[in-house]
Amino acid sequence: MTPPPPPAESVAAMIRPTPLLADSQTNRDVMAVFMERPGLGWLLLIGLCGAGLVAGALTWIFQIYLGLGIAGYSHPIFWGAYIVTFVFWVGIAHAGTLISAILFLFRARWRNAINRSAEAMTIFAVFTAQLFLGIHVGRIWKAYFILPYPNQRALWVNFKSPLLWDTFAISTYTLISLIFFYVGLIPDLAIARDRTTGWRKVLYGALALGWQGTSRQWKSHTRTVLHLSGLATPLVLSVHSVVSWDFAVSIVPGWHATIFAPYFVAGAIFSGFAMVLTVMIPVRRIFRLEHIITDYHFENMTRFLLLTSVIIGYAYGIEYFIAWYSGVEAERTSFWLRAFGPYWISTWCMIIFNGVVPHIFWFKWARTHVPTIFVVSTLINIGMWFERYVIIITGLSREYNPAVWGHYTPSIPELLIVIGSFSFFSIAFLLFLKLFPVIPISEVKELEIHARSHGHATSEAH
Amino acid sequence: MSPIQLRRRIVEAALAVAVAAGLVFGLPGPRESGAQAESSAAAKEAQQLAWDDSAPGPKQPIPFSHKLHAGQFQIDCLYCHSGTDRSAAAGVPSVESCMGCHSQFGQDLEGIQILKQYWDDKEPIPWEQIHRVPEHVQFKHNRHVAAEVPCQRCHGPVEEMDKVHLTSDTIWWPWLLPSKKLEMGWCINCHRENQASQDCLTCHY
Amino acid sequence: MPELDRREFLKIVGASAGAAAAVGCSDPVSKLIPYVVQPEEITPGIPLYYASTCLECPAACGLHVKTREGRPIKLEGNPDHPINRGSLCGRGQTSIGRTYHPDRFAKPMRRGADGTLAPIEWDEAIALLAAELGKASGRTWVLGGTTGPTASEFLDRWVEAVGAAGRVVYEPFAPEALVGATRTLFGVESEPIFDLSGADLILDFGSDFLETGLSPVEHARQLATARDAGEAGTRATRFVYIGPRLSMTASNADEWLAAKPGTEGLLALALANVALSSGGGTDAGRAALAPSLARFDAASVAKLSGVPAESIERIGRALAQAKAPVALPPGTALASRRATASCGAVLLLDWALGAVGKGVKIPENDGRRRSSYRAVLALVDLMKTDNVGVLLLHGSNPVYSLPPAARFAEALERVPFVVSFASAPDETTARAHLVLPDHTPLESWGDASPRPGVRSLVQPTIRPLRDTRAMVDTLLDVGRAMGGAVAARMPEGSFRSLVEAAWSSSPEAFRQVLAVGGRFENPRPAAVSLAGDALQLEVAEPLLEGDGEFVLLAVPSPQLYDGRAADLPWQQEISDPVTKITWTSWAELSFATCERLGVEYGDVVAIETVAGTLELPVFPRGGVRDDVIAIPTGQGHTVGRWASLDGKARGVNVIAALPSLTDESGGRAWLVARANARKTGGHFRFAIDQDSQDQRGRRLGLATPLSAFAAAGAAHGEADAHGGDHAEHHLREFDAAKDSDANSLYRWGMAIDLDRCTGCKACVAACYIENNIPVVGEEEVRRGRIMSWLRIERWVGDGSLEGGAGLDPILPDESGSIVDVRHAALVCQQCGAAPCEPVCPVIATYHNEDGLNGMIYNRCIGTRYCANNCPYKVRRFNWYDFQIHNWPEPMPLMLNPDVTVRGQGVMEKCTFCVQRVAFARQKAKDEQRPIADGEVTTACAQACPTQAITFGNLKDGASAVVRKSDDPVRGYHALHELNTRPAVTYLAKVTRGPVEG
Repeated sequence: MTPPPPPAESVAAMIRPTPLLADSQTNRDVMAVFMERPGLGWLLLIGLCGAGLVAGALTWIFQIYLGLGIAGYSHPIFWGAYIVTFVFWVGIAHAGTLISAILFLFRARWRNAINRSAEAMTIFAVFTAQLFLGIHVGRIWKAYFILPYPNQRALWVNFKSPLLWDTFAISTYTLISLIFFYVGLIPDLAIARDRTTGWRKVLYGALALGWQGTSRQWKSHTRTVLHLSGLATPLVLSVHSVVSWDFAVSIVPGWHATIFAPYFVAGAIFSGFAMVLTVMIPVRRIFRLEHIITDYHFENMTRFLLLTSVIIGYAYGIEYFIAWYSGVEAERTSFWLRAFGPYWISTWCMIIFNGVVPHIFWFKWARTHVPTIFVVSTLINIGMWFERYVIIITGLSREYNPAVWGHYTPSIPELLIVIGSFSFFSIAFLLFLKLFPVIPISEVKELEIHARSHGHATSEAH
Repeated sequence: MSPIQLRRRIVEAALAVAVAAGLVFGLPGPRESGAQAESSAAAKEAQQLAWDDSAPGPKQPIPFSHKLHAGQFQIDCLYCHSGTDRSAAAGVPSVESCMGCHSQFGQDLEGIQILKQYWDDKEPIPWEQIHRVPEHVQFKHNRHVAAEVPCQRCHGPVEEMDKVHLTSDTIWWPWLLPSKKLEMGWCINCHRENQASQDCLTCHY
Repeated sequence: MPELDRREFLKIVGASAGAAAAVGCSDPVSKLIPYVVQPEEITPGIPLYYASTCLECPAACGLHVKTREGRPIKLEGNPDHPINRGSLCGRGQTSIGRTYHPDRFAKPMRRGADGTLAPIEWDEAIALLAAELGKASGRTWVLGGTTGPTASEFLDRWVEAVGAAGRVVYEPFAPEALVGATRTLFGVESEPIFDLSGADLILDFGSDFLETGLSPVEHARQLATARDAGEAGTRATRFVYIGPRLSMTASNADEWLAAKPGTEGLLALALANVALSSGGGTDAGRAALAPSLARFDAASVAKLSGVPAESIERIGRALAQAKAPVALPPGTALASRRATASCGAVLLLDWALGAVGKGVKIPENDGRRRSSYRAVLALVDLMKTDNVGVLLLHGSNPVYSLPPAARFAEALERVPFVVSFASAPDETTARAHLVLPDHTPLESWGDASPRPGVRSLVQPTIRPLRDTRAMVDTLLDVGRAMGGAVAARMPEGSFRSLVEAAWSSSPEAFRQVLAVGGRFENPRPAAVSLAGDALQLEVAEPLLEGDGEFVLLAVPSPQLYDGRAADLPWQQEISDPVTKITWTSWAELSFATCERLGVEYGDVVAIETVAGTLELPVFPRGGVRDDVIAIPTGQGHTVGRWASLDGKARGVNVIAALPSLTDESGGRAWLVARANARKTGGHFRFAIDQDSQDQRGRRLGLATPLSAFAAAGAAHGEADAHGGDHAEHHLREFDAAKDSDANSLYRWGMAIDLDRCTGCKACVAACYIENNIPVVGEEEVRRGRIMSWLRIERWVGDGSLEGGAGLDPILPDESGSIVDVRHAALVCQQCGAAPCEPVCPVIATYHNEDGLNGMIYNRCIGTRYCANNCPYKVRRFNWYDFQIHNWPEPMPLMLNPDVTVRGQGVMEKCTFCVQRVAFARQKAKDEQRPIADGEVTTACAQACPTQAITFGNLKDGASAVVRKSDDPVRGYHALHELNTRPAVTYLAKVTRGPVEG
């Protein structure tokens, strides 16, 4: 699913909005983002999120003390907003690795400007997701039972359970993403080290692992990144496949479907890209990076959105077709009530936001019109949250035994915790903006050097 | 009749004979209350040791010495802890059954006077529990007695203890992890060695 | 056993409270509390059973009280008792909670100057009462519910001795009209005994004999026997229900005639008319009745009763052909001001058909003191006119259960000294000057005699938890305290010695009675003949007060009875068998009515009668006549931790809307008022435990037409032989017996017979008590968080694919005259291929070697995936520490020590009473033999009055459960298409269709 090779002029557009930059120029621009004293906006934002985070954390403590009853669960809906948000964040976590690994292997150059922030998002998103595993379980103080560690009880875990696969998939993914992120960061940290004083110098100095930028170091660095990409690529596909099996291996009508793995992976990439856009557009604006992140990036990102949107749109369709084709009454009922039952709003949000709205990107003007992109990508994020909500809640609320059909609405504490998770993610990202280069300086410069030395010709090659 | 019950009968008989013999040979009998013989020095010493704060284990309301009863006098465990072979719960002897003997013996001992006080007040004795498993474990004494698991396997050599305490007995798993006495792994280990059931529902329901 | 011993060993109860409490919460037991004197029969850890009697309702079933370490932990039926034969209804089982009720009076209470009750000492209280009695001299009255013969006899003697004016017995649901009718017809003063076991055609004119009738447990068993689907021939027995509402009892009928309330008498005579004129009945009957019955022709009665003439004639002819028909007279709900006539008419029908002496036995005049509503009203008049000085109230709550129209509360204000013997606070004690708390039945001696020949003993099974005294002992002391002549006339000894004296000559004989639980002989039927004035009965339409468009039907609640069970949390939480509503009251209106009033499920309506107005939410039904509003009794209490909403009324008390009227024989009339209904605009969210009663054609509750048996009869046992039903070949798909470890002797399984299940929920109550299942309260039930491991799902027919899009349950139409309601008891199916097992990451739920689906609480981390993946939805999650928050002291004392109390955050579910299996295994192992069939059974199977549940070992080919499960015609597995290989086999309900005649 590699996009077409970038037309030459667009590469020019990418690196030449202003007269040709000097290395120092790029350095300064990018460094400025995180060297400048935090602005008022930044402080306000982080204050706001801080409040949200505290509220969420306190609610969680409260919930551990009192019991899960304070959440809106109601028999037979045993999974609710927590798992919904968990899946949502795991999905978000996909853009990073995809951009860094797969697009790297495909030599899609346009990735360079955005991969750093995407990787950062990946890591914060996957951390946030992991929080929910703890928030969701009934006895978090016993949650360590789920780890296959040797214990005095001589008990073992159940490798048949998708929840266990999940534990492994997520933790592996976290590890690889972290390494990937860090390795990519090293050269920039070195630059930062050289241009800072005081505690920052110490910090970057330590993290830069004595990077000097010698050709030998560059050689091994490039090779490492290459190998890591090879390692990470299957993960992009595996992680969300495994998450999808949390549902697909069950017998719940609306969950038990073979299409789930590709369906979820596509959805994950979809939401991941949408999140990258939602976050990067303001960042680009606030930190005046228009000359580095250009229409060309948006163009390609939105093409990706279009592609994945078509895939999940197809998946939605297929789900309904199979429900009808299977002839299973429970399955049919479940899907019928999904669209016309108590949860019709969520369902139609999901279908329109994810399946219909993105089709606007068939038009070039939309692909390059930043406000439109921002609105659409935000809608997609909402739509994707609802997708998980619909799958989980409608599936559970209308199961095989009509005597225990139920209804679920998230409770206030539940929502507070969800908001807390968003705050957690935002705080992490805001701090990242102020601590690390949000644009991979070295990679951008690499492109510039290419352009300067060989003109347009080489930049077509890839 | 299970071997255990058999043993119990024998001990009971033996005690009866002993008392009878005591009467025959003019030792102080029940009727001559007050004029009872001095208890043995051993008994006195056992009482001190049973309340010896330097010794491990909690202090019991009465300086009762298992060493004296189970060790020296060779009284079968089931004689006092009756029902242990019939019921999941191990019986703690009622005050009455203590008095059964001690209305005749050892009235000059401090412990027996305390015992008598409880008896007169018709109050139960609040013994300190030493060996306990959590509420979610349904341990069955009778099964283990029937399987002829010696009491000492779990309770340690109480017949050698004046003051009973939880003796340590730690097993090591092949994966180099210890499991302390009365921990689940410790139980499982014994069940493995003896091909006893390892079904979770055997102990947890 | 000598009394002293028991007192002595029960001394321990207080002490070991700590131990029991510790089961409830997780703080460790640090002390070992032995007995002071250990009674020879007690071994800690081994249950001890005492035979006693249930005093929850006048049916007086026999009990086996299961005690552990001196604490009753469960009430079970006494297998030797002729009334209940080892089973017990839900109310009986949860009545154990009375003893452990947290709000019981700790000692005597006296109302002080400030108007509040304050504790005083017994001596003081007794002296006080003695003095008051002295003052009141001839103006003392005793008012109370049914008591056993011994207590009753004593009360009479006492009343006479202390020179009291008199004594009135008051039972709200007493069948006074029936007794009146028996007197009029046969000149005998006694309740007829109905025996359905041999009947081939059963007509219930609205007695609701499976819920609150004369003897629910007994009649349920007899009904099941009468139409036992297991035996060819008998299973054709038809059951016709005649009444305005499709009650739980009616749900078990084959045909429902929705007669106008109060016209049962007319119908009975019309049926008799048809039956006799088409050659049925006895010659005597024809001779005596035929002429006078002529005017009750089908056509005119059809007009009056709203029952089609065709049905009357058809059933009449069927009666004529029937060999052993039995007709049961109307019960409380339909007791109009002409109730005696109605009951008389039904008894006449029985007599004419020759059922009297066979299915209907009229015992000899037992000369028992009976409840009389007329007498109660007379006493109220005396109170109003200041002619009552001291009023002693026992075993009843008249302030609640008498209609406000009777002005009892006001009259009570005028009584200078009101004494109550209630053991827990209620509306009446709230107005008493002195409370002398009685023992609960589990703490007290006593006896009961539900019918002549059956005498049943009550013995204490626990040392009184509070400083209470048996009422009789109190009265004895009072009498003695009054000194002089009164004291002299007091019998020697205590209540216990009175009971002992009344029961046996020697202690040994008494010991034997104690072991059995009573003396049981068959009642000697009186040689009855029709009295001359029998035909003077004025059988006509009921007289109703007011001029509303509806008739107000006060339905005796199967859960709360007359309201006495309202403060037992289980009875509040175990839902109504028909509407599935918990914790509140509701009004049943027909769909048509609701449409006309513009109200829907849960909308609040105002219901006005001449006596008062009630505001309560609507439950729309097909199963109720368009001109009837049905409201259950029992709610609307203002006192009680669970009965009320801290002091405010929970639900409404329907009695408040009923005028206070009597029938011809002075019995209490309930069907007395017309009502108007209007929409109020309010809405209420019911807390229900079954969302939809429409199974959408899914295989949850199946039925088989009777014809299928004919087909099966041809080639029994062959898989392909039975055309009518499609269940049998699914049974052949797998062998449940193979779903346990190859070298295990057992595969525990269950067979549940839908044709026997009446939906009474005795099993649910049993499960609650046996397995320490917490009560969660109204709000949590509303969120579907009810914890019951076993629920009875009520399915109306096969269901349709309509509805389900809204938040309200699908309410199926059940207005047809052919009844097809299936009660399917859903427990954990202990699947051989359990969907819950593979998804648990920590193996907290797994398949054990005996084929059980184990649930290990202490391993569970609460991912709740198992519950999502359970298609039957039988798993329950502990959202809070329910058991700790909802079980105030001393309730932890009644916890079953053999079952772990589940804490917050773990999953739980039906275990097939694995603790019972484990206990049986001990004995079997000691004797080196496998557990025998029938040696162990689950709490639900044990409690079931109709033996609808069979538990046993599927690997033992000879076991009862295998025999039942192998039913080729009716056997099926719930949701078999999911291939979960359940260990539970359901036996389809048999639809017998309308009565042919």
